[in-house]
Formats: sequence, structure tokens, C-alpha cells
Amino acid sequence: MGTKHADVKLVPTPSCTVGPFFPAHYFGATDNDLTVASAVPGAQRAAGSKVYIGGCVYEAGRVPRWNGIVELWQPDAGGRFNHPNDPQHGLADRNFMGWGRRATEDDGYYDFITVRPGGYEDPLTGATRAPHINVSVMSSGLMRRLVTVFFFPDELANAGDPVFNAVPDPAVRERMILKPAKLDRAPADATAYRLDIVLQGEDETPFFVD
Amino acid sequence: MASPSAPFANRFAPYDDRTQPAMRVEGYRETLVRVPARAPYTRPATLSDITGPLNLAQKLDAGVSDLSRTPSGERAQGQLVRVCGQLLDEDGVPVRGSIIEVWQANAAGRYLHKMDAKSPFPVDPNFSGAGRCVTDAQGRYEYLTIKPGAYPVPSHPERWWRPPHIHLSVFGEGFMSRLVTQMFFPGDPLNAQDRILNSVPDPAGRERMIAQPVPMLELPRADVLGFRHDIVVRGHRATPMGL
Repeated sequence: MGTKHADVKLVPTPSCTVGPFFPAHYFGATDNDLTVASAVPGAQRAAGSKVYIGGCVYEAGRVPRWNGIVELWQPDAGGRFNHPNDPQHGLADRNFMGWGRRATEDDGYYDFITVRPGGYEDPLTGATRAPHINVSVMSSGLMRRLVTVFFFPDELANAGDPVFNAVPDPAVRERMILKPAKLDRAPADATAYRLDIVLQGEDETPFFVD
Repeated sequence: MASPSAPFANRFAPYDDRTQPAMRVEGYRETLVRVPARAPYTRPATLSDITGPLNLAQKLDAGVSDLSRTPSGERAQGQLVRVCGQLLDEDGVPVRGSIIEVWQANAAGRYLHKMDAKSPFPVDPNFSGAGRCVTDAQGRYEYLTIKPGAYPVPSHPERWWRPPHIHLSVFGEGFMSRLVTQMFFPGDPLNAQDRILNSVPDPAGRERMIAQPVPMLELPRADVLGFRHDIVVRGHRATPMGL
């Protein structure tokens, strides 16, 4: 529509808890496999090195937060997003969507298969972003989603990453770093990592202002 | 510093907390054990915050926008309701091609979900309570359903009743415009007592979760109650997405 919108100022609709009743069939079989960009059988796989990430979500007292939702958003193996806000979006891997979703199981377990994201020169801050994955957690009892970020171990770029450094305490920062692990459900061709997400209490995960 | 990215800087201003719900809600005990003890850290917005999946329809199946009937045509119990609206950003620019997920209780106040297995209310075999729509070129969406029933929050000793409401999950333009919310019905007496609706401190914010009635004569058919519910996701964009 050719109308001018510049003088319109709308206030975002309030967030609300996702509640306990998010439909089970909304979780598709490949929603937690980011290497599959399309639900269409036979679709091309994303380029890059395959990664398996698993862990548990806990509430206070290390009680498993089951029936919660974990969502991921990350760049492709080359550090690009298939989105017009990325100046390099034309070079993004068309077989990688970068989004995944997973319900947590009875013991709080979640897992994803994805590719190791590339880092990139960030056009907003001028900083170098280390390889990272944006994570959202939703659940009954959470009126707004919780947002954290996964980083990779032994990654030199972490030290200069503006989001990594937004958490000043190194011991707390460590809770954003994926830990190499042997995980039963990891595919043989994937590098496996574990990271628990602690909503509240000892070893609480650092969350960011959304 | 002048750079090509300067226009991005204020695209996703922080939420005004008065217009958003409190995290800890009195009487909603689950909030007490799930909300982090520590205040969230602030971080600069970078590219991974202002981008998001644009082609989700490749992955999430289309779903149904008529929840009032089964695929073979059997009609669900309850009052037919048509909800329409526009998905907009903070500049009023339509967000097109965005998936909106919808779920709700049936007319008796029962969800078709294992978490509601102990509900005292009956399942409606003709009502799944789940739908999905995609916004059109003007950011418009619409779906047909039945009016959800109220229900007491399960295992809550204080007998807190949820008013009729419809859950919405919206993806918007990017990671920072992701929104999960609920839509309420105007004039319902339970609205004033609902701990979730009233966790938003600003009355105008609460109003943004309440649908507007559509005059009967503006509806395409006479057998439905009509409601309009515009949804605003965070973000400012120079041009509509997709150009």
C-alpha cells in the first residue's frame, strides 16, 4: 500500500504465557533438525559441519521443566542469514532456515541437530560476532519468553563478542558455552554438545533483556 | 558514526515494561519457580536479533483457518466466531507472510491436550482447537472458530477461572518480533479477575489483548459473531517486508 506510515506509532501487543496447552502436533518431526530446511521429503541438506546439542531445562530446585518450548535462531555455516536485513543475505545457504523448535520431555530434555554457525562482522555494532545460537525458552509460568545465547567452546572469537561480554562474570558467562559431551541420541556424524538451561537457582543461565 | 547500518539502530527499541506483563504474578505460583532470580543482562542488538525465518511455511504445515469443522465437515459445538485483524509493526506497516498459530479450549472449556486430561469438561470430538494462518499482502489474517469456554485453572486451590481466550503465536519479521500472546473477549466478567490479563500494569496494554466486536452487518454471514484483533509486533521498518 502506498500510504505513509512514518507518523504512526503503535505499541506492541503484550506478551502472555504460552501456557501448558500448546498443541502437541505443532511440533513437526524435523522441527528440531535445522539441517532440514523443508518438510518436503528429499529436500537438500544445509551445508556445514553437523552439530548435536542436547540438555535439560530446569526450574527452581533443579526440577525438570517439562512441557516447555525451546526455539533456536542462528546464522548458516558461513555466518549469513537468509533475511533482507543481512547485507549478505544473497549469499546465504538456501537450504538452511536457521530456525528450530522443540518441546521439552518429561525429564526436561531438549535436543537439536544443526550446523555449526559461522561468525560474522556485525553491521550494527561493528564488532565481530562469534559463532552463536539465539535461544528462546517459553513455558507456562513465563509471561514473557526468556532469551539466552549458546556459544561454542575453544572459540577465540568469544573473547571479543559483544553479547558474550555483556555478561561480566566469567563464571556466569561459562554457562552459555556448549560442553563437548557423549550423548546417546547424537547422530554418528555430528559433534555433540550438552548444555542445560537453568531458569532459576544455582548455576542459573544468564538471560538477556528481550 | 555514520554507517549503512545506522537506520537499524532503533529498529527494536526495548519494550516499555508498563505495556508488558510482570514476570512474577501473584497467585500464579508457577511464575515463582520459573522466573530467573537475576535481572536479565542488557546486550547490544546485532544482526541475529533483527533477522528471523521468513520461509517458515516451508517447514510448518499450513494448518487450518477453519477450526469450527473437522476436515470431513462435522461442526464443532458452540457459538461460531470469526476473528480477523492485521499484523502490524510499530510504524503501522503490515507484516506480510507471517505465520500465526492459534489454539484454544473448546466451548466447554476443555483443551484437546494431555495436560488437560483431568478436566471435568467434555472433549468435543469435532474440535481440535488448533489452527494456523498466514498473513496476506496487507498483513491481514482471519480464522473461523467457536467461542472458547472459561475454565478453572487446573489444580489451583484458589479456584482461579480463566476467562474465554484464544492463544496466539506470531513470528513477525525476526527474532525480536517473536510474540506469544492471548486474545480475550470484550465485556466478559471474568476478564477483571484474570491474573494473566491483569499482569499487564497499563490498562491500555490490557485493552490491546481484548478483541473488538465487529458490527453484524459488516460480516459476510449472519450466523457468526465477529471480532477484530490487530496484533502489533515490535519493530520499525522502512518498507514492508518482502519488497
